[in-house]
Amino acid sequence: MIRIVWRPFQALAGNRPVLARRENVVPATQAVAFLLGIVVALILGVILLWTSGHSPAEVYERMFDSAFMGTDSLSRTLERATPLALTGLSVAVAGSMGLWNIGAEGQMMAGAIVATGVAMMADGLSGPLLIALMMVSGIVGGMVLMLGPALARSHLRVSEIITTLMLVYVAIRVVEWLETGPWKDPESFGFAVIEPVPEQAALPGLFGRANIGVLIALGLLLVFWLAVSRTAWGYELRLAGSSPDTARYAGVSLRRKVLTALLLSGGIAGLAGAVQLTGSAVRLESGLSNGYGFAGIIVAALALMRPSGVAVVAFVFGAVQVGGQSIQTLGVSSAISDILQAMILFGALVAVVFFNYRVRWTGPGGGSSSADPAEPDPVEPDPVEPGPVEPDPVEPDPVEGAA
Amino acid sequence: MNADYAVWLRGIEKQFPGVIACAGADLRVRPGTIHALLGENGAGKTTMVNVLAGVYRPDGGEVWVDGQRRFFQSPADAIAAGVGMVYQEFRLVPTLTVAENIVLGSAPRLLRSAEIEQRVAELSAAYGMAADPNRPVWQLSMGERQRVEILKALWRNASVLVMDEPTAVLTPGEAAELGVALRAMAEEGRSVIYISHKLDQVVAFCDEATVLRHGKTVATIDDLEDVDLTSLAEMMVGAAGGGYGQRPPALEPGPEVLSLRGVSALNDRGLPALSDIDMTVCSSEIVGIVGVSGNGQKELAEVVNGLRRPTQGRVMVKGQDVTDAPPGDRYRLGLAYVPEDRLGVGLAPKMSVVDNAVVRSYRSQRRGLMLVMDKCIKFCQDLVERFGVRAGRLHDPVAGLSGGNLQRLLLGRELAERPAVLVAAQPTRGLDVQGVAAIHGHLVAQRNDGVGIVLISEDLDELLALSDRLLVMYEGRVVVEYTPDVTPRTVIGEAMAGQVRA
Amino acid sequence: MSEEALIGLFVATVQFGTLVFLAALGELIAERAGVLNLGVEGMMAMGAVSGFMVGLETGSPWAAFFAAAAVGALVGGLHALVSVVLGADQVVSGLALTIGGLGLAAYVGRNVVGERPETLFTDLGIAGLADIPWIGEIFFDQPPVVYLTVLLGIAGWFVLARTRLGLAIRAAGESAPTTDTAGHSVMALRSGAVMVGGACAGAAGSFLSLYMAPGWVEGMVAGRGWIAVALVIFGAWRPGRLALGALLFGFTLALQPRLQSFDIELLGVEVNRISPALLGILPFVLTVVVLVIISWRYRHRPSPAPAALGLPYRREER
Repeated sequence: MIRIVWRPFQALAGNRPVLARRENVVPATQAVAFLLGIVVALILGVILLWTSGHSPAEVYERMFDSAFMGTDSLSRTLERATPLALTGLSVAVAGSMGLWNIGAEGQMMAGAIVATGVAMMADGLSGPLLIALMMVSGIVGGMVLMLGPALARSHLRVSEIITTLMLVYVAIRVVEWLETGPWKDPESFGFAVIEPVPEQAALPGLFGRANIGVLIALGLLLVFWLAVSRTAWGYELRLAGSSPDTARYAGVSLRRKVLTALLLSGGIAGLAGAVQLTGSAVRLESGLSNGYGFAGIIVAALALMRPSGVAVVAFVFGAVQVGGQSIQTLGVSSAISDILQAMILFGALVAVVFFNYRVRWTGPGGGSSSADPAEPDPVEPDPVEPGPVEPDPVEPDPVEGAA
Repeated sequence: MNADYAVWLRGIEKQFPGVIACAGADLRVRPGTIHALLGENGAGKTTMVNVLAGVYRPDGGEVWVDGQRRFFQSPADAIAAGVGMVYQEFRLVPTLTVAENIVLGSAPRLLRSAEIEQRVAELSAAYGMAADPNRPVWQLSMGERQRVEILKALWRNASVLVMDEPTAVLTPGEAAELGVALRAMAEEGRSVIYISHKLDQVVAFCDEATVLRHGKTVATIDDLEDVDLTSLAEMMVGAAGGGYGQRPPALEPGPEVLSLRGVSALNDRGLPALSDIDMTVCSSEIVGIVGVSGNGQKELAEVVNGLRRPTQGRVMVKGQDVTDAPPGDRYRLGLAYVPEDRLGVGLAPKMSVVDNAVVRSYRSQRRGLMLVMDKCIKFCQDLVERFGVRAGRLHDPVAGLSGGNLQRLLLGRELAERPAVLVAAQPTRGLDVQGVAAIHGHLVAQRNDGVGIVLISEDLDELLALSDRLLVMYEGRVVVEYTPDVTPRTVIGEAMAGQVRA
Repeated sequence: MSEEALIGLFVATVQFGTLVFLAALGELIAERAGVLNLGVEGMMAMGAVSGFMVGLETGSPWAAFFAAAAVGALVGGLHALVSVVLGADQVVSGLALTIGGLGLAAYVGRNVVGERPETLFTDLGIAGLADIPWIGEIFFDQPPVVYLTVLLGIAGWFVLARTRLGLAIRAAGESAPTTDTAGHSVMALRSGAVMVGGACAGAAGSFLSLYMAPGWVEGMVAGRGWIAVALVIFGAWRPGRLALGALLFGFTLALQPRLQSFDIELLGVEVNRISPALLGILPFVLTVVVLVIISWRYRHRPSPAPAALGLPYRREER
């Protein structure tokens, strides 16, 4: 039944496309792919806006202005970019070992839960001390949620993709439970909300809406970059991620590396939760993670797991999200920012494929007709050499092959 | 004219990025014959048969099967034209049953398992190839899996059967059985294309032959009875001198550097792979390990190097018990290892030449927590110079290097810090003549320098040319020890098949 | 607790079970072919909104149902194009499908929130069977989508286990090169399986918006797509176990909003004091437990997970 799809096509065109690896890979970088992805997403956005009766120019102008023009706009973009950079880094730490942390969304929540709990118990502390304590508890929370998947992966080879993903909803449901029950704010007039974090625990602001969470994220990205590219620990991590058998042979304990990479990843996502809680949110609520954890996966993928890339992509995604919020006043749904983010990724993925491959139409000509004029000439067909020893080589018959 | 040939590949050209695999090669096979396709590694044999099987589309040339020009777009087209291919790495689905594997791709629209199993059983009986249709393939031995592959081709009534290195995984007994089965198929009028390195088997099994070198056909032999082994070998390697040099004179062995006492271990499938191995290696000697592949050589190398846990017994390096020591500690004690899988175990393909050069020594390139890049680069440059690695740029991924250069880099890295023992598994497999000579030279030089070497190889000639002692492995045991100078090849061959003559 | 409430619970169990089973059946087919699609949530949202809008426009729930399946197949087709044809990472592509799908559904459906189509799916009693006390009401007085899903489940099992196509799909999920050299197009098999999976998810989405809710509101899929992904693992990639798991997961989904009204004691726990949110954890925790058990039990033999799951395949790579 599936062949039916191809046969008429073949009959019509007489040939069909295959992807062939390019002789010379297009010397374009991931940065170019990312830019192409943005272009693709913007074009698709134009079509979408047009068909629903909006003026794309007006919408895009509003998005751009609200994300970049003026310190207040920039501060909003940075505010959004901070959790994206941290979750992106979280995914990248696991990713540099070839592991997928799909559960940053949940670990963010777990971090925020533990941080809230600590704040409830220690709300008498001074600001800086309480903030530091909450950051540490955020890390611990993320690690705790990651502990099961990490151990299952390192000791039983259970796919971390599924286990981390499953725990996302566990964490979110726990927050819902806390909201309705144990941590319900007695002063909330019957609303199921948790009491706000203590005032002194608010992260100090930088400018506008941006707070020192930006610096925490940037600092961690720098530390991670140094650790991976310049330390023996990072060398072992790269080795284990790129070729596990070589790492084993070099005496690197894979189990320990998998465990530390995943736990670190969980801890960073948990920290993202604590930063979000103390920086932008008022209180722990089930919407706190707001898709940042899932978006972080796309950020890390676009950044090829590199810290510098994470910073750039997180900034752009932050801008897209702020822009998406701003156009609601024009009567345009903010959902457009989610669509744009996904399309940037798809566009970049497709671009990367075409940097490395070209479409070649193969017809019934036995050989292949090339769509790429730059392809080097095939090797000269040499006549068959006679063998060096006694048995007669069969002479090529010139008459044959005229079919 | 065309109808005279079951298969005619004419002027096949095929290029891969950076590699010319076939440059106008020809292959003609008459119906009802077993045709050997010969050539060194990289001569283009596998590419040729993959073109015939529809896996690769040729860049140029013509494919004729049964007198008709064919334009294979996919393996399906080749199968429909009657080409059955048995790949070197079996193409079987481990979780499916024997019957399901056999009918995959040409099953009836509805699967009635009883009926299919019945027909599979009949087919396997007809060719004397026993196979339980109901068993999942992962439970089968390598020999049984190969039978399933052949039955798969017969199920589709293939008129041309292509076998890529079929006996590499077989015991000599199984190989002989295979020869009988192939002959039976040829007598039914089918053609068999037989790729092998084992020239004695080729001469025994095959009727005609084609020899490839550097992607071109250099000889076509209509009757193999007219040719002797030496001239066949010469055709494959080109000018004479493809053989190995004289064995270097033995040295007085020094102190014991590696010993195994009663070592047993399991393979990846949890079945016994080594049982009760005792062996000793002294400095200044090369101990060759000979055996048909899959008789425990791989597991032996892994147990010695700490990549596999023995279930019993002790491993000692320079008199120190290292049975429970991790691979890194063993290396620091003086145990170096050139693993069989160069790319993937020995070297990390996607990492740079520098990163790969320091796999063993990165711990000594540190300052505090930091890895000192300058020291790493210096170390790598020394290595590249000393061992003649043509490496291009040191920061490019190692995967771009040729096989010979990869092996020089790997061997050089292992020897860089003057080990006491070297375990080298298949160190010359797939290398060209020059590369082989370079590796052999290094091994002998190291031996003369006092290193004790364990050389694991499937190439008996290589072992005979280099080893001071030969240990024969069969079914996980060291069955006998020979001195290469005085033992006839036939005796060693029989021992490899489990029949030890004193 | 009244008898009525109990029957209501089981009726809802079957309906929620149907919802997650239909989506999970599609995911199972895709995964058996070797493609992990984490876009189920997005495909369901797209199916829910497009089905709902077609329902508004045409007044025909069946037209809406099949339109939703078609939209689901199209959205799944994007995943097939990116991850199967072009060989990009399946995890990333699937997640982007969820994010983009949820966004697009919200965007497309922004003007129909709160509306209600003239005709919705209605319960269809099966003559003779619907009158059986308890059983009849629970199993044989359901909307037609429930019966159709049962038939689809049986058909899915039959195709996978008993046909040439199913054998090829299973082989593609275990070893792509083997399937390719046996003469099946891995790309076609996998793309087809992903699109069928998308159709199932889209159809499930429309069951949500045209019967269970009914209505459209942003975020209405509410994690049921992820439950479907979990269910495939819980069911160990087998349609039969998938059905059992669907009833169990459906039960937890049906129980959540009703928990408060059950004033009975079970094992010494007052049921109505359990938090519905904690009950919602159950499917995910059970799935993790099952996955760990599977890994442990199959450590020395091939696991029921398709061996090539998540691995892209391209033929002429060298």
